[in-house]
Amino acid sequence: MRRLPSVVVLLVVVAASLLAAQQAAPLPTRPESLKFAVIGDTGTGAPPQFDVGSRMAEARRTFPFEMVIMLGDNIYGSQTPQDFVMKFQRPYAPLLTAGVVFYATLGNHDAPANRFYPGFNMGGHRYYTYTRKDVQFFVLDSNAMDPQQLAWLDNALKQSITPWKICYFHHPLYSNGGRHGSEVELRVVLEPLFVKYGVSVVYSGHDHIYERIKPQKGIPYFVNGSSGALRAGDTRPSAMTAAYFDRDQVFSLAEIDGDDLFFQAISRTGRTVDSGVIHRQTAPQTR
Amino acid sequence: MTHPHATTPSHVAHGQSYRAVRLTVRRYLLMPIGALIALIWANTAPESYFRFAHGLSFFVNEIAMAFVFALLGQEVFEATMPGGALHSWRKWTLPLVAAAGGIAGSAATYLGYIQSQYQPGLASGWPIATAVDVVLAFYLLRAFMPGSGALPFALLLAIVTNIFGMVVVAPQYLVLETRMGGVALAIGALFAAWFLRIRKVHTFWPYLLICGTAMWVAFYWEGWHPAFALVPLVPFLPHEARTLDVFADPRDDDAVHHEEHEWHLAVQPIVFLFALVNAGVILRAYDTPTWGVLLASLVGRPLGVLMAVGLGVAAGLHLPRRIGWRELIVIAFATASGFSIALFFAAGMIATGPVLAAAKIGVIASACGALVALAAAAALKVGRFAS
Repeated sequence: MRRLPSVVVLLVVVAASLLAAQQAAPLPTRPESLKFAVIGDTGTGAPPQFDVGSRMAEARRTFPFEMVIMLGDNIYGSQTPQDFVMKFQRPYAPLLTAGVVFYATLGNHDAPANRFYPGFNMGGHRYYTYTRKDVQFFVLDSNAMDPQQLAWLDNALKQSITPWKICYFHHPLYSNGGRHGSEVELRVVLEPLFVKYGVSVVYSGHDHIYERIKPQKGIPYFVNGSSGALRAGDTRPSAMTAAYFDRDQVFSLAEIDGDDLFFQAISRTGRTVDSGVIHRQTAPQTR
Repeated sequence: MTHPHATTPSHVAHGQSYRAVRLTVRRYLLMPIGALIALIWANTAPESYFRFAHGLSFFVNEIAMAFVFALLGQEVFEATMPGGALHSWRKWTLPLVAAAGGIAGSAATYLGYIQSQYQPGLASGWPIATAVDVVLAFYLLRAFMPGSGALPFALLLAIVTNIFGMVVVAPQYLVLETRMGGVALAIGALFAAWFLRIRKVHTFWPYLLICGTAMWVAFYWEGWHPAFALVPLVPFLPHEARTLDVFADPRDDDAVHHEEHEWHLAVQPIVFLFALVNAGVILRAYDTPTWGVLLASLVGRPLGVLMAVGLGVAAGLHLPRRIGWRELIVIAFATASGFSIALFFAAGMIATGPVLAAAKIGVIASACGALVALAAAAALKVGRFAS
């Protein structure tokens, strides 16, 4: 047998290593860390949503996340009890059976009464907060930012003593999605509070793409609105885009340990489309 | 040496500019101008626009607009006084029926559309779809159907519709917290206005400064929209009956008209600011509320008006003189747009966010009801288009 040129062998080995590195979980999976998944605009009940649910269950075998944050539009179309079965309980059945807890926010397609659905763990509230380990999550109703909600958020952020403060809601303050884009009016109202109280990360959906936004006034933003619905090719990347993917459905995994948030965005087919680490700022930007 | 009365190009240009400004002010054109500036600004430099708008919105929407609603209330009240153009009760019956039909038609269309899109959370926005821009309707019909019974009919329809809307919207005002004592303060303000009236105080200022301030605080404390606070004081103000030129700047020929004239001028920058602060939306924010409001305004309301009038006539009511079905169709479309009143309702009852933005786009787009009315008048050969 003729020997392959050594250069070719070397190239094959390098390529295989790169591919393996891409497929390998960039999450350290440390024992004491907080692990969670992120999904948005899920509630289609269509096969891609089921595919994402299966992929999440598969990921959980090596990355045992305990909770999932849902970024709104959790149920599309009719909102009967049967729709909750088809568009939520069945796609995520393995996770629900394993005791994974879902914490939802309401999107523009969600009926207001969905906040009472037990599986979303909203406690009947449009906006609420909860804490896991070193992380306090602030869940907002971005459909209508009324004075009471703003006052509640101001007070809740002021009272928070956790190192990590994560806000999530449906409509993105920063987005390069072609259909909707940034909710600038909401940004004018919310961003000053986020900056004032040192919010660590913000997650939103609404645009049916995945996009990671470079830190804006020190805060990184994620648009994760393609876990069920998808608008292929809808992203108009700009100078504020750090990464994006809009060719397939995506869900994200996140792990917070100490001052680091490790993230990994995974497509419906299991490909890692984005990953990295966010180092928490140790003090709020302004008071 | 130039003759002092020579008409130079600069004199001509100056005169034309002055006439243009007067026309703009007299015909409330500062509002659409403000809206246009807001739309351009919001879509080219949105962050600066929304900072500006939010910074000014309380002063404009909650305080300054109180003077606009008071003036509108004053003009309507004077038109309905004995001797006024809208006085006779006989004139009210069919417009009342038409208004009810318009409200029902627009509300049903809006709610039906929202339901078809599986978004019941938007249902509470239905009053926005019922509003009528009374000033727009007035100037439209005066332009194509002058001297006919259309104007009083349309005005009464619009007045009844908007009073209904105000009663529904006022208690839904978005306020952080309410306080006790508002009702007592309101009663005190009304008593003070009555006292000034019986003492024959003919100048507006004591009514506005003393009674108006107290009533504004009362409304705010009770969680009612404070922009409507001066309206209950209108019956106590000095009045003279109005002719059909309801929204015109009155002749400055006596003390009452002098103050109304000054009031007319004072509200012009307010309506400009109102449009500037509220009409700015990013145009791609259109969504379900946009189509709901648009359908309700341009389809639901006109159909509701026409069906209700049909039922009224079948029940024995009479159409006004020189008003037939062709004229009614034009009136139905001329009163289709809610524009300024609808914008006001939307800003008062929906919190900042994408739902409000989407509704505003529908409201602004409904102004094309004016074009539909024009097309209908031309096609049906009504008013100025009659052969």
